[in-house]
Amino acid sequence: MRTPSRSVRWLAAPPALLMWLGACATPPKPTALVSYEDLKRDPNIEDTRRRFPDLVGASDQYGDRATKEWQSNNLEDSTKAALLAEIKLKTALARDAQEQAKARLQALTTEQAKADETLAMVDKDLTAMTEQVRLLDSNKKLSEQLATDQQRATAEREKLSAQLATEEKRAAAQLSLRTADTVDANKYDPADYGAATSMLAKADAEIKQGNWSAAQASLDVAKQRADHATEVSKPSYEQAEQAQQNRARDEALKRDATSLPGVTVRPEQKGELQRLIIAVQDLFTRNQTALAPGKDAALDPIAQLVNKYPSYPVQIVGHTDNRGKVGELIALSQARAQAVFSALVAKGVDAKRLMVSGQGPNEPVADNRTPAGRGKNSRVEIIFLYH
Amino acid sequence: MTLTYRRPMTSLRVAAAALALLLVTGAARSHAWADEEDDIQRQIDVQKSGVADLEHLDRQHAATSEIQRLRDWLGQAWDLRNKHEPDDAREVLERCVAQAELVRQVITAAQLKTQVADREAKLNATKSETEKKKKALLDAQVRKRALEQPGGAQ
Repeated sequence: MRTPSRSVRWLAAPPALLMWLGACATPPKPTALVSYEDLKRDPNIEDTRRRFPDLVGASDQYGDRATKEWQSNNLEDSTKAALLAEIKLKTALARDAQEQAKARLQALTTEQAKADETLAMVDKDLTAMTEQVRLLDSNKKLSEQLATDQQRATAEREKLSAQLATEEKRAAAQLSLRTADTVDANKYDPADYGAATSMLAKADAEIKQGNWSAAQASLDVAKQRADHATEVSKPSYEQAEQAQQNRARDEALKRDATSLPGVTVRPEQKGELQRLIIAVQDLFTRNQTALAPGKDAALDPIAQLVNKYPSYPVQIVGHTDNRGKVGELIALSQARAQAVFSALVAKGVDAKRLMVSGQGPNEPVADNRTPAGRGKNSRVEIIFLYH
Repeated sequence: MTLTYRRPMTSLRVAAAALALLLVTGAARSHAWADEEDDIQRQIDVQKSGVADLEHLDRQHAATSEIQRLRDWLGQAWDLRNKHEPDDAREVLERCVAQAELVRQVITAAQLKTQVADREAKLNATKSETEKKKKALLDAQVRKRALEQPGGAQ
């Protein structure tokens, strides 16, 4: 029998070698072992090993067993051991995490206590500071309120003061205007009086608007114009008043004179001069210059009348009829007037008021041809003179 | 010493005796198998009820995958028990016990980490509040100084 050739032997060698190598090669790692080895590369493993040596040691043992079983091509046992190794290692890591968490919790408890204490202190300080600020703020507000109240009070006072001053000025202006009224200023100085009245009305409007300064200015003008009107009107008014009084007095004099018994009264005007003539007859007997007996009493009412109206100058004028020489009659009339003068002075009449004259037969009031006429002409006239 | 006489057995008798021995041995073995399977079943049941408790405890879902793995292995142990492979079933059960312990530790760690997170949040809140109040205090001091000035402050 022939042995195979060398070339055939060389051809059969590579497949045999491959089969041998395949039989000797390590199988792929089980997934569980790969997972365990990945877990074991965790950087915290060494710390965990120090804290949990039993658990990590047990894991190592299972891991070693898994590796050996894998290397022995016993994949199922390798997987079982790797799973247990992983479980033990994970358990160790979980326990380690718990310990770390507990330590952290303890540290947090301490830290929390400090933080709470700090917070309490800050809170206390803040509360105190807030209270101080609140008080200061409150004080400030009170001060501001006080200042505002004071300002308001001052303003109110000033307003009241202005109002009072205005009222005073208004009263003064009104008084001036009333004073002007008393002298009929509207009649004698209508310009000033009208200006004063309108300024017073203007001031009243300004007072309603609360414009005190303007009102005061208006009232000052009103008073000034009213005073001026009074000043201007007063002389005219007094003159008119005097004239009126005089007229009244004259009228009274006329009434009183008319009521005298046994006399004849007649008014007479000569230019501007008014005369009230009271003619008294039968005071003298013929050609006598002394009062007839019993006639003195007839002069009593005359004397009372003259004294009642002391402001009138009085003339005593003697008159006669025309029986006799004119010169003698004038002298006779003068003497008779003098006799009446003396009698009146004796009855209390002021002599300085009296003027005596004699007209004789020059101013007859009746016909001298009849006894009655001559009786009327022979008379003494008491003449009140006025304007 | 007393010598008794034994009647020699016949082949039939020997065969019967062997059969009886075989039956007795087989029955005893079958009985032992049944006891072990009951024990494994009981252990599996205990583990399953423990899994429900662990799921209930795992509120943070930190161990969901590990619990699922435990469930798978318990199913595997149950299959092995049904296949009458008690040694393999016990081996898997032993792993389940270790896995259950791992789940408990993971859950506890997660709970502790949650507590840590809560405490840290509380601490941060306290610190934040403290900082706020410190700032408020500084502001109040500034305002106080301003109010104490003659003109006061607005």
